[in-house]
Amino acid sequence: MNIREKVLIVEDEKSIAHFISTILTSNGYETIQARTGNEAMSMISSHCPDLVILDLGLPDMDGMEVLSSLRSWSSLPVVVVSARSHEHDKVAALDLGADDYLTKPFGTAELLARVRTAIRHTRTTSANGEIAQRGTYTVGELTIDYNKHQVLVRGENVHLTLSEFRIVALLGKYAGKVLTYDYIIKELWGPRAGGDNQILRVNMANIRRKIEKNPAEPEYLFTEVGVGYRLAENE
Amino acid sequence: MRQTQNKIPLFPFSFRDFLIFIGIFACAVELCILLRMADSSDGFASPVFVLAVLLISRFTNGYLFGTLAAILSVIGINYIFTYPYWEFNFTLAGYPLTFLTMLGVSLITCTMTTKIKQQDRLRAEGEKEKMRANLLRSVSHDIRTPLTSIVGATSTLLETDGLSKEEQRALLEDARDEAQWLIRVVENLLSITRMGDARTQLSKVPEAAEEILGEAARKFRKRFPDIKVTVSAPDELLLVPMDAILIEQVLSNLLENAATHGQTVTQIQLSVRQENAYACFAVQDNGCGIPPKELPFLFDGTLKRSETPSGDGKRNMGLGLSVCMAIVRAHGGTMEAKNLPCGAEFTFRLPLCEKESQ
Repeated sequence: MNIREKVLIVEDEKSIAHFISTILTSNGYETIQARTGNEAMSMISSHCPDLVILDLGLPDMDGMEVLSSLRSWSSLPVVVVSARSHEHDKVAALDLGADDYLTKPFGTAELLARVRTAIRHTRTTSANGEIAQRGTYTVGELTIDYNKHQVLVRGENVHLTLSEFRIVALLGKYAGKVLTYDYIIKELWGPRAGGDNQILRVNMANIRRKIEKNPAEPEYLFTEVGVGYRLAENE
Repeated sequence: MRQTQNKIPLFPFSFRDFLIFIGIFACAVELCILLRMADSSDGFASPVFVLAVLLISRFTNGYLFGTLAAILSVIGINYIFTYPYWEFNFTLAGYPLTFLTMLGVSLITCTMTTKIKQQDRLRAEGEKEKMRANLLRSVSHDIRTPLTSIVGATSTLLETDGLSKEEQRALLEDARDEAQWLIRVVENLLSITRMGDARTQLSKVPEAAEEILGEAARKFRKRFPDIKVTVSAPDELLLVPMDAILIEQVLSNLLENAATHGQTVTQIQLSVRQENAYACFAVQDNGCGIPPKELPFLFDGTLKRSETPSGDGKRNMGLGLSVCMAIVRAHGGTMEAKNLPCGAEFTFRLPLCEKESQ
């Protein structure tokens, strides 16, 4: 018999916690619930969940505090749920170490997809399992070859420049996850590169022109407006 | 902020008012000195100073400087402009009465001008309040209809036995659709507050137009899988200074509008191209077009339910379109709508170069 993955839902609104719990249980996860930040912290250490769904607006403390204190000792995947629609909050949560975010209101399909992605990334310890085994990552007709430093579309090398390849390689390593503009820039050009997104946007536009059929209707490289980029992942 | 508006201090002091006071008073004194060179009778002094008091009350806040000017005028006239010059003399026959009258007239003038100013301000505030109330009323109305049907559908499900599986499903789908429509109303309201936050100065960043179009189309496809959306962007990367979240909202509103009001829409074409110093975004559909009667009022939010015979009659996109208009305007752009031979087209233009004031 399979051991079911355990998800801790930290949410003070009963009705939201209830529906998340119901949908996850019916999709084969085991769920436990916490109402407050303190309760969440103690349940994380006593129950060792595989994933935490964390609401940012908790009665006793800000969810961001829970996240940062959790990140000081654990890399347990965290999906942040927030009613705050300002993109700064999403970026802040991601930069603090959240694995993904959901904005209220969200649909069930979106919830399940984020949970699945976040759990998969822990099992393979950050790097994608496929990359570790074979040195490639494939989604649809797109293949990133990490050994040869190439990106293939329908088997054809699309000849990316070095920095273009490094962007795609980075997104591929975390396929399905949003990487913030700042994170990508720091990974590529170092911490002193500053907050100029323009060079990244130009690079992304060039990559899209090389790998997408229609750059304005991407199949692989998605934009999260105001937050960052996400590479498609295999369902 | 609100408190100072509601309770205006009677004697506020500000450096600006002080300067106005000194300036006007100095002019009055100067004028009187000049006039005395021409004519040595002193009859002109009082009216000139009354005028000075009037002007000071008009251009300063509160009663402080007006009252001060009134008292100083009386003293000044006595001291400078009545015989004996350059000294006080309250003993001349009839003079005390003259000065009392002068003081009275000045004080009343000052009080009345200040009152009128306050009434003007109250009226302006009242009008703003009325606009806000109108918006709130129309939004509340927009929200009440879907809420009624959500409560209705769910209560029916809970309280009625013997509904068939199909009937249950239909009720649930209704409730979900209505809730999703509410979400969109709230998103539009959030956009308004987002613009209010920035105090008319939006935080504009050069964004790749194709990314925003692509995202808007992707989200729309999830919601309306039956409508085919094609997106086209120029080969050359078009970077447009904008608040991306707001422009995405504009595009979603226009797409949504086409889907819910176009009736027969099966295809939507979303495009962006450069036109001189502007990026021109267009949303074209192949639906029934915009009723000619509604065209002139589309963007000002005055369309009422009763005036929209098209669509399902209860969906008021007035809010959505006026939000679009407000967002585009805040970007320094323009927006228009027109009918095509088959369908409708909404276009908006955003300036490509950022203004120096940024």
